[in-house]
Amino acid sequence: MINKLIHNSFFALSLMFFLSISSVWAAAVEPIKEVTEDDYIGDLPRVLTVSRLSQSVTDAPSAVTVIDRETIRASGIVDLPEIFRLVPGFYVGTNAGFIYNTNAVVSYHGMATSFAGTMQVMINGRSVYTPIFGGVKWSELPISIADIEQIEVTRDPNAASYGANSYFGVINILTQHPSEAEGNSVSISHGNCRNEAFYRHGGKLKDLNYRITTGYREDNGLDNRNDFKRTRLLNAQADYQINDTNNLEFEFGIANGTREDGNPDKDYVLFVPREREMFNHFELVRWQHSISDSSDFQLQAYHSTDRSNDNFTSTNLRANAAKFLKENGYSSAAASAVVSTFRDDQVSISNDIDTERYDIEAQHTFSPAKDLRVVWGASARQDEIYAPYWLGTKEKDKFNLQRLFGHAEWRINHKILFNIGGMVEHNSFTDTDFSPRTSLNFKLTPKQTLRLGVSSALRTPNYVEEKFNAKVMIPLIAPFPTGVVYAFQDAGNVKPEKIVSREIGYLGDFGKLSLDAKVFNDEISDYIITPKIQGFVSPPGTVNLSGRPRSGENGGNVLINGFETQAKWKPTNKTNFLLNYSYVDISSKEEETARDIGMSMPRHTFSGLLTHRFNALWDASYAYYQTSEVAALGDGGYVGLARRSDVRVARKFKAERTSGEISAVVENLFNEHYQEFADYNTLKRRARVNVRLDF
Amino acid sequence: MVLLKLNRKVRMKGILAFVMLVLGFFMPFVAHAYIGVTIVMSVQTPANLEFVEQFNAELAKNKQVNLKVNVITLADEEKLVVADNSELVIALGVKALEAASKLKRSTPVLGVFTPLPAFNSIIAKSGRELGNFSAILLDQPFSRQMSLIKQVLPKAQKIGVLLSNTSLKYIEYVRDEGEKRGFSIEGGKVKQETDLIPQLRKLLDSVDAILAIPDPAIYNRETAQPILLTSYRYQKPIFGYSQSYVRAGAIAAVYSTSNQLAKQAAEIAIKARPSSSYLPLPQVPKYFSIMLNYQVARSLNIPLLDEDEVLQRMLESDASEDM
Repeated sequence: MINKLIHNSFFALSLMFFLSISSVWAAAVEPIKEVTEDDYIGDLPRVLTVSRLSQSVTDAPSAVTVIDRETIRASGIVDLPEIFRLVPGFYVGTNAGFIYNTNAVVSYHGMATSFAGTMQVMINGRSVYTPIFGGVKWSELPISIADIEQIEVTRDPNAASYGANSYFGVINILTQHPSEAEGNSVSISHGNCRNEAFYRHGGKLKDLNYRITTGYREDNGLDNRNDFKRTRLLNAQADYQINDTNNLEFEFGIANGTREDGNPDKDYVLFVPREREMFNHFELVRWQHSISDSSDFQLQAYHSTDRSNDNFTSTNLRANAAKFLKENGYSSAAASAVVSTFRDDQVSISNDIDTERYDIEAQHTFSPAKDLRVVWGASARQDEIYAPYWLGTKEKDKFNLQRLFGHAEWRINHKILFNIGGMVEHNSFTDTDFSPRTSLNFKLTPKQTLRLGVSSALRTPNYVEEKFNAKVMIPLIAPFPTGVVYAFQDAGNVKPEKIVSREIGYLGDFGKLSLDAKVFNDEISDYIITPKIQGFVSPPGTVNLSGRPRSGENGGNVLINGFETQAKWKPTNKTNFLLNYSYVDISSKEEETARDIGMSMPRHTFSGLLTHRFNALWDASYAYYQTSEVAALGDGGYVGLARRSDVRVARKFKAERTSGEISAVVENLFNEHYQEFADYNTLKRRARVNVRLDF
Repeated sequence: MVLLKLNRKVRMKGILAFVMLVLGFFMPFVAHAYIGVTIVMSVQTPANLEFVEQFNAELAKNKQVNLKVNVITLADEEKLVVADNSELVIALGVKALEAASKLKRSTPVLGVFTPLPAFNSIIAKSGRELGNFSAILLDQPFSRQMSLIKQVLPKAQKIGVLLSNTSLKYIEYVRDEGEKRGFSIEGGKVKQETDLIPQLRKLLDSVDAILAIPDPAIYNRETAQPILLTSYRYQKPIFGYSQSYVRAGAIAAVYSTSNQLAKQAAEIAIKARPSSSYLPLPQVPKYFSIMLNYQVARSLNIPLLDEDEVLQRMLESDASEDM
């Protein structure tokens, strides 16, 4: 009997022997927290709630690229938009353009303009898409790259989940959760044209986790361009766990600084090279409530303000305007005659732009059956815009938007998954529209997926296309009428641009190698163009001193076909390859699109990132980017084949209470002077050193 | 100097406890047949109340109605009083067991909802002896947990385990049980709180999954969020040790319900009742359940069978292993 007991309980007994000795010893050193029944049966806060869990890439209704923290680090990028060079189908161009516009161009599948507005961009679910010009002012976002945990790029229209403007794709930038970034971190970079310093502190007060990041960035920009940027930023994020099923998240960010604006090669008379001050901030609160294991509710509200103070005076009109007038169709004699009638030497322009956004969104995610997952919700937004020069009024303009959306994922069986969703959207510009989407995912094998998808989306015209009334009045001496220099005279009533995208996608996971490929066909209708107004006549009492103004209107159709692929290969634990290739073919009729847009995306783009860890301390990476010739729209222009190689070498170090990394990056290693976006943006070799200390 | 003395004293006590532990096992003592069962708890939690209900049901099912069940909810610092030599005391939870350990040595005591380390310190502190002081532990055997990992992730090779000074001693047991199933076990040592996430990240770089071992220095209310979020970012599952951890975001866990523990306790109470009988040695839960988180599995693209099916397969593979 005893023998049997000994046999049966040998494990328990030997463990007890071991424990009785060691736990007594440990108790003498410090009071240890002992395991109690609470550890087993006590409740815990719900962390990975259904709404926090994203669809697996193989279940998603569209192609999704996830860029993780490690890839961002290894790429050695210094400006956030650059990371999108590593996403298939993307074109990224550094740009030091003209008006309000020292900004990078990030576009997917073409139509690249200086304010590429064909993608929705969000930070933690908060839209940073600017209503006035469309697109994103990347350099002004109050975010530090080091705080980014991952970036999810949906390479498909995704209006069903994110609403209009989730047109060609959606970028969602997710920052680290405050609980993941405890302690202090200092990062300092110095290099060609660039100085940066960031400090981050993460901490915990009972059930409140918080993180504060503050930074300073100085960027001299490109050679021979008026594009200096100085940015001071502060970003804070907190998470308060009210109880196991409720939590509150707070986010706050603020940025300000100086931007150089205007470049002499385009408008040398009115929008002279100058400095402007930018200032923006946002506040967000999010309540997450876990209703049950498979159902939760989220309510989010945020407010953001974005200001650009830009009051300036033109050059001496008498001295410089004649040349300008001649370029706008005046004869030499007429130009001289007009100039002699100018009442003032100079004209003042108030180009302040203030935009304010209020947004509230409720969302309910639940799983009514094991094989079914549903999300639905509603949101409302108001944008207020004050832009006296562009809108031609000192009144604020209001833009309202309401949405109702739903999406269901149904796993029909273990081989077939069905996604269906849609969004109804009502806005001040284009009334009510509906964008549906659907897809079928077939699991060919447990590791291979074939996806067939159709999705549609709309792009609401932005203010440039719908409401601009931009002109500069130049008083002439009596009895002459007022002179006007026109830029935009929108007629309004532009319909939203529509896209229907069809795709066949493939995902394969072969252990060390994973593949993502898709062929796609994007059909765009009511393509929005801004041609010069035919037969424009300046109103009575005015004289037109410029060419005809532009106005937004709907053009014809555009067809985009192509193929794109991403391969990740991890031959050993220490080496990683990431390779991207895309082929994009845009066809349209020039008379329908106002200009040739066939080359608004490089036909071939290729990028690769090789990273290798030599040992626990040293690692290095090599990035290669190649884009074929492209003629971007907006302020862009033709640039030829571009090749670029970046190298990064890093060494980690660790002292008793401090650890960190020192790294060096050389961009454009072979110093091939190439152009991006337009021929005035020449990129040369640049190097940087960064030191990061964590303590 | 004082500390040194204390150390020696404590160490002596430890050795003494060990000697007693081994000796106590062979030393016969007077045991009385009990006529009733006193269930002691410090708080009326749903788990405790469910235990009582099921315990009664099990007795009834086994026609042991003459075994009277008495339930005591003990206030803080209150001394437990039980009729001498006629009761089996079942203590629910660590606090209740601690109180029960101060009863007369001849009173048989069975702890339930007690983790092994707590049981060890109580027996050492009270000087009670195995034989009539025992427990149904909360600890699920590592073999069972490995078996679950094998069923959920048949292709996994490396399993990571985070260990603090307190739980460091488990690593060899985990390793042995893991290796039996073809897993290599990687340990990550967390010396202080600030090491936790960096160590976890380091593990996640190389392992296929994390096995959580109960250790309040690592797994507690505050750390659940960063641990689960970080693992999720790495798209690697965590195997928890409780239903709560699965609800919070772990992919699966082995656990025993109150009903299952009550069934086992009733079996012991019935079997040990004849006067000459001893309480068996502390034992792991005999009956267990598993809980799977299908939402997490789907998001991580891990196909899962039904819970019943997985449990069935675990039982089958365990049976073939036990021979």
